[in-house]
Amino acid sequence: MTGIQLHDVHFAYGARPVLCGVSGQCGPGEVVGLTGPNGAGKTTLTRLLMALEHPGAGRVEIGGRCTDGLGPADLADQVGYVFQHAGRQFFSRTVLADVAFGLRQLGWTAARAGAAANAALAEVDATRMAGMHPHDLSPADHKRIALAAALAVDPSVLILDEPTQGMDRPGMLRAAAVIRRRKASGTAVLLVTHDMAMLAECADRVWHLEEGHLVLDAPAPGLLRDPELLHRHGFTEPAQVAVGRTAVRAGEPAPIRLADVVSAVRDRLRSPPAPTAG
Amino acid sequence: MTAIEVAGLGYTHPGSDQPALADLDVSIPAGRVTLVTGRLGAGCSTLLEILAGVAPRLTGGTLTGTVRVLGVDPSTREGGRTLVGRVVMLLPTPSSQLSGMTSTVRDEVAFGPANLGWDRQRIARVVDGELDRLGIAGLADRDPATLSGGELQRVILAGCLAMEPEVLLLDEPAAELDPPMAERLYALLPELTATTVVLATTDVDRASPHVQEVVVLDGGGVVAAGSPSEALGQEAVVGLDAGSTVARIVYEAGGRGRLPIDVAGVREWIAS
Repeated sequence: MTGIQLHDVHFAYGARPVLCGVSGQCGPGEVVGLTGPNGAGKTTLTRLLMALEHPGAGRVEIGGRCTDGLGPADLADQVGYVFQHAGRQFFSRTVLADVAFGLRQLGWTAARAGAAANAALAEVDATRMAGMHPHDLSPADHKRIALAAALAVDPSVLILDEPTQGMDRPGMLRAAAVIRRRKASGTAVLLVTHDMAMLAECADRVWHLEEGHLVLDAPAPGLLRDPELLHRHGFTEPAQVAVGRTAVRAGEPAPIRLADVVSAVRDRLRSPPAPTAG
Repeated sequence: MTAIEVAGLGYTHPGSDQPALADLDVSIPAGRVTLVTGRLGAGCSTLLEILAGVAPRLTGGTLTGTVRVLGVDPSTREGGRTLVGRVVMLLPTPSSQLSGMTSTVRDEVAFGPANLGWDRQRIARVVDGELDRLGIAGLADRDPATLSGGELQRVILAGCLAMEPEVLLLDEPAAELDPPMAERLYALLPELTATTVVLATTDVDRASPHVQEVVVLDGGGVVAAGSPSEALGQEAVVGLDAGSTVARIVYEAGGRGRLPIDVAGVREWIAS
């Protein structure tokens, strides 16, 4: 089994427990959205998946390998990640050199690393930033470049911590399209986010973490269409889903993705529903 | 009453040949919540930095035109000094705003008031009040360095509010907050009636129900200003793909003219 597997994972910072028996799996070609209140343990879980930390009990498996005894470097050719504070991920003088940095560390030749880095920048529509200094970019573009760096190695697992933070809607949609393409080619994606619109665009399932416990593991579309379940876990319904519901006929499932909501509204305007009898 | 008056404002970042703001006129009323939004790169953060006196005094760059915050020019050294503690800005990256001088959340929140020379009793009162208001009393004895991103963002905001500023400038204040906390933050803003709040964010869907005025920027100038429905429902704004998701959906579905910015508006619009 490849992708991500968590078996009864426990973790504590000193005496403060952070993860208390988390189990779940995210297979190849699957996008799992990881949500939860501030301080629930989301970022800590990503650190375990990168082998920056190791569980106190239980097992974390990445691509079929248990992370016990491994460090981040051992997983570098399999796992791509975007940190929560992406601005701290940069070391080089140009964006291109930064995206290529990880590949060079893996021993790739300069030519191969450069080609892969250029391709990754093109994938996130950031080719024009290649020669810029990373510190001259906005926080949203830091996230975009960090995503390119994560993609460049062509990983089988992507760990993305708030990859759309600071982005406006066009930026979010661009990132979602990249994730959907990677999913289609078999990558397992763990997407930590508070952005419900982003979950609507690309998540298959949602894991919801509260005080170190995984309290929900549910298909994303079902969750997003269920205002009561959303409310129970502290979510607010994305505006687009509410609009989608007003546009479809009673009993039809509401569209979730923005493009589908637009189509539903357009259809509704072309053919208003016949008045119901009685 | 006007708290902030900007006329013919132009600003160019150091090393750039493109102005970030050009011939900008904005007037922001006192005691209200004003949302400043636009596409990324529209100049919203830059405008806040100028109002805070950070640009150009600390960042460099060239400024033209006039800026008055509480009647004072924040771009001069004397003006900046007059506005210390009266105009406070929350940066979008809370970790870069930590004082680095404290080892507990309580001391971090007290850092601003202590530097304003307040007496201990007053500091203790405002600090406790802000810790409660932002739901972080339980973190009071934690080391700020061990907090999650969202917890830290609330701590820094508590430190800003504790200074009881007359003008509060918020740059993407909910970026790291979970949805219930983001909602709570936005809902808190209109309650700050003694404070002029200027909120720069692209998170328009969640923020706009809680703001009273909206200014939309593009290309360094103002494209629309007014109440949320006036400004965000304008076709020119929606066409930029800035602002309300709801209005954008209706626009992409073929809607033109004044567009609805919320679900109730869409229902009416579909029915008409």
